[in-house]
This record gives sequence, C-alpha cells and structure tokens, in this order.
Amino acid sequence: MAASDKPVTDVGALTEHIDSLLERYLSLLDEYTKLRASLSELQSRVYQNIARANFSAERGVRYGQDLYDQRMQSLKRLVITVDDNNTPSYKIVPVTVIVQEETPVQTLEPTEKPSDGTTAEGIDASNEKEEKKKTTRSRDPLKWFGILTPMPLRQAQSQAVEAVEQIIPRLASVDAEMVDVEIQVRRARKKRAKAEAAVEKAQEAQGLEKAGTHEAAAALPSPSPPPSEVEV
Amino acid sequence: MSTADYKDRQFLAVIGDEDSVTGLLLAGIGHVTAPPDSQKNFLVVDNKTDNATIEAAFERFTTQRKDIGIVLINQHIADRIRHRVDTYTQAFPTILEIPSKDHPYDPEKDSVLRRVRRLFGE
Repeated sequence: MAASDKPVTDVGALTEHIDSLLERYLSLLDEYTKLRASLSELQSRVYQNIARANFSAERGVRYGQDLYDQRMQSLKRLVITVDDNNTPSYKIVPVTVIVQEETPVQTLEPTEKPSDGTTAEGIDASNEKEEKKKTTRSRDPLKWFGILTPMPLRQAQSQAVEAVEQIIPRLASVDAEMVDVEIQVRRARKKRAKAEAAVEKAQEAQGLEKAGTHEAAAALPSPSPPPSEVEV
Repeated sequence: MSTADYKDRQFLAVIGDEDSVTGLLLAGIGHVTAPPDSQKNFLVVDNKTDNATIEAAFERFTTQRKDIGIVLINQHIADRIRHRVDTYTQAFPTILEIPSKDHPYDPEKDSVLRRVRRLFGE
C-alpha cells in the first residue's frame, strides 16, 4: 500500500491512513470468516465420513489411533516465508511432488553405507539416497488401515488434504497479516492522538496569546486601576 | 525476526480428539522422528487425558521443538488449557483452534475475533 509507506503527520491525513488500514483489515476479516466457514464445513464432512467408515467396518475394527503407523513420516512440508514487514506467510507443499521427480535415481539404493562416507559430500549423498529410498516406499496413511479401505475413508482423506493444503496455511497467513495491520492501526492511532494534542496545544497557546493581546489592548486606554484594586 | 526462527519449522502438530487427529493424519501431516526419541507431532486426547498431559504436549510443540510451524488444537481442548493458550505470544509456531466432531467452531472463543473486538474498542 503506497499510503502506508510515506510518513503522515497531519490529523486529517492520519485519519485517512487509519481508514485505509481498517478497510484492509476488514477485507482480511472477511477472508478469515470465509476460510473458517470452509474449514468447519470440510472438517464436518471428514468426521461424517470417518463415522460412516467405522459404521460399516468389520466388528471390532475402528479407524483410529490403534492402527496408526508408529513410524509415520510426514507427506507434507510447511514452508514459511517472511516479507519485509516481518509478516509470515504459510504454504503446504506435498512431499510426493519431490518424490516423483526423484524416483529414477532409485537404483542406487543398496549402497546405503559407502566406505568413503566420512566426507561431508559423501554423507550428504548417502542421506539423499536414504531419503529417496524412504520416499519411494508407499507412505499413504490409508494403507495403515488395510489394503481395501472403505470409500468413506478415502473421501475423508481427500477432504482432509484440501483442509490441510488450502485452508489451514491460508488461515494462518491471514491471521498473521491481521496481527500486522492491528499493530499499524494502533501506531497510527497513537500518532494521530499526539498530532491532535499538538494541534490543541497550539490552539490553546494561540488563544492565550490573543487573549493576552486583547487584555493588553483593553488595559491600555483606561488609565484607572483595575476594579479589584478599587474595591480593596 | 531472523530466518533461523522459522526456516526449520516444516511440520504441523495436532492436539485433538481421535477423529480430528485421524482426519489430519490421513492428510499426511503425521510425523514420528527417528528413534530413540521417536517424538510424535500429535496427541490424541480423550476423556481420560488429564490437563497436565495436554499442557505438556502444548509446551513441547510450542517451546521445546523447533521444527513445528503450526499447532492445530481442537477448540474444546484449548478451553481446558485456556490460560496457557491465551498467554501464548510467540510468533512461531502459530496456534490455530479447529472444530471437532462434537464441538463445532465457536466464534465467541476465537482469539482472532476477540482481537478484532479489542481493535474496535469493545
């Protein structure tokens, strides 16, 4: 925003600046509210689908924590970037994208512990190979629950993926942006209060000065002493 | 804010009831670090989980671990450690309260909306 970049000093301009910040804040709030609604909607569908999957599951089977893979590895990476205003922005990147690009190098797997692995490069290379090996193994969480997973569970997964990839990082980013605008608004309000106080002070001083000159002017033509002194 | 504060924060963490955690793990965010630590980035909370355990997980995800960027917590569970959640002021990781199956999202408790009210002087 161009208006927020240059320092503003007079009260009118500051008010305008605050208004433009609040306008931005309200549009962020609007986005936040919409994202919240989508998240609620998506999650309630996820819960419904998990319930449906559990309902139709074999006796004694529950799609829950007892079946989680205890060595699970994340399939999503969070990427945080920070802009000039120190406001972070969040993004979720699926690890599978990287896996697809790397799969052709899979043949090098057996040399997991190279004899010359002591050099930094060697270690890096072996780590990379290890990572490739790990990522090529199927890590789909659906597999924790068996080979033939019910349809509702698949649907729950695709809805959860949408929530995690589209909604959650955006919600976090909008929240961070709102915090930034809040700080700017408070700063601008403080500045405006100061500017207003300064204007008031100047006006008061001017008023006093005027009153002083009036008094002086009034005092000059009358040679008689002030009434209070007469009474005394 | 230095880059070191956030560049390694590549995971999400969850504190939630079983279905919330299952849903989010299905999306592929679950991660267990290499043994012997084998630290999980999630905590399944049920009726038997005491508040101290929830608080310890919150502390672990927000303060001890430096690889977590967003902590997702069910709103009704955040209520159980509300003092801890509301006094949390760090930039990273960020906390997001999410609805659960039995407790739909309540805007009255939303920390962002409470901030909005404060800004507009209510």
